[in-house]
Amino acid sequence: MPMEQERKINHNIIVECKDVSKTFITPEGEHPVVKNFELEARENEFLVLFGPGQCGKTTIINMIAGFEKATVGSMKFMGKEITKPDPSRGVVFQSTALFPWMTTMGNVEYGLKMAGVPKAERQKRAQKYIDLVGLNGFEKSFPVQLSGGMRQRVGIARAYCNEPKLMLMDEPFGALDAQTRYLMQEELQRIWEAEKRTVIFVTNNIEEALYLADRILVLTNCPATVKKEYIIDLPRPRNLVSPEFLALRKEITSVLDSTL
Amino acid sequence: MTNGKKLSEKSIGAVCAVISIGAFVILWYWGTQATQLGLLIPGPVDVLKAVGAGIVGKVGRHSILAHAGYSLMRVMIGFIIGSVVGVVLGLLMGWYRVAEAIFNPLFRIIRPIPPIAWIPISIIWFGLGEDAKIFLIFLASFSNTTLNSMAGARSVDPEIVNAARMLGASERKIFTTIVLPASVPNIFAGLQVAISSSWATVLAAEMVRSSEGLGWMIVAGMNNNDMIQILSGIVMIGVVGYILAIIMRRAEDVLCRWNKSGK
Repeated sequence: MPMEQERKINHNIIVECKDVSKTFITPEGEHPVVKNFELEARENEFLVLFGPGQCGKTTIINMIAGFEKATVGSMKFMGKEITKPDPSRGVVFQSTALFPWMTTMGNVEYGLKMAGVPKAERQKRAQKYIDLVGLNGFEKSFPVQLSGGMRQRVGIARAYCNEPKLMLMDEPFGALDAQTRYLMQEELQRIWEAEKRTVIFVTNNIEEALYLADRILVLTNCPATVKKEYIIDLPRPRNLVSPEFLALRKEITSVLDSTL
Repeated sequence: MTNGKKLSEKSIGAVCAVISIGAFVILWYWGTQATQLGLLIPGPVDVLKAVGAGIVGKVGRHSILAHAGYSLMRVMIGFIIGSVVGVVLGLLMGWYRVAEAIFNPLFRIIRPIPPIAWIPISIIWFGLGEDAKIFLIFLASFSNTTLNSMAGARSVDPEIVNAARMLGASERKIFTTIVLPASVPNIFAGLQVAISSSWATVLAAEMVRSSEGLGWMIVAGMNNNDMIQILSGIVMIGVVGYILAIIMRRAEDVLCRWNKSGK
């Protein structure tokens, strides 16, 4: 597959985290959530951070997004130190964090509105992403009128519409039922194939990680640090019951168990 | 199915309302006709007749509707100024710590004072004209709106604010495009209380000193020992207050459509 090869030899580093630690100070004392964390995400790579429950994965995403600052260490995006949130780093939240008083169109075009893009132009561009995520016909619906899966489609379109270099996804399908979750994984893969971006995707679901990832970083439990790295070069779309898939699944699960 | 169910629930509610109001009026009528109560209070027919006559003719120098209009105009002016100031101040206090540090101590002292306690001062400051009444209504609507707007701005979901930052919103845009609309349901809760408090205050202000308005009408009725005039004034006060509450609820339904599930 020449396309696959091309992606792999493209070594442009988009995100670089070096020796990053984060400690929260609580009344009970210091609480380390991330420790000596290292990460390099390359252009158009689908990188999955896979780890157990409450282990600081969200904190890592929040730091790369610019919502929180690392206690120590350096975090760079395209060679520059990350200091604050920026439209070039799109975030898809687990809670969706949609603006409930805005319609689908209003949510998706918000970023372009903030950038001062004229109305006709931004609606045209927003429509492209609304169509891409399969929400054609729901432009005028409010989030409360949409199902969980559809809301997260709006969240993906909203982040995509600013045409970011990097997409950060923090357990975006964590709140969905199993059936919808499978569907959304397929959809996300289709969207990503259509609009290639660097993606950093957080999940605690091994199947989801293996289905989507080019590379998986297995994280330890609190404080989070990289335990092991896997490069997944199974052909896409992946067969969830192929022997290779199941073997990887078994191996990664056993690594994870040993971290608990 | 659900639509039909809703409709029948609604019509049952309407029937119950008619029955309960009807029963009250009949009891009132029977009481004034058949018992000693008739000496203290006129019957519903007399009152409704007086309201009708007041609409066609005059009570004092104006028709009943004109009196209601005077009261309403005062409420509208004071309410609009008071709620605009209240929303702005409340959102600022709820969102910016500096604004809260400066204004909240003062606001906390002023807020528990009922608006009618200001009547004597307002007359000394503004005289007996419209300004004093508008000032009182301003106070009545201002503190309720401020309090609720502040609560609204404080309870904005921080993740939504992060989402807006991620999409490139400046701090000023976050205030105008996120904090303000997210607070609308709270603001409306405040406006509901503010409008009824304003309506109560205008009547009190008119009762103290005025030559028109529904408050004047019931005080003039008392001075002339005219029970029918007092009661027709009270009926009008109830009707107008009810209409104001309905208008506010409709406005909320339209502006907070996104906050309700379904349609």
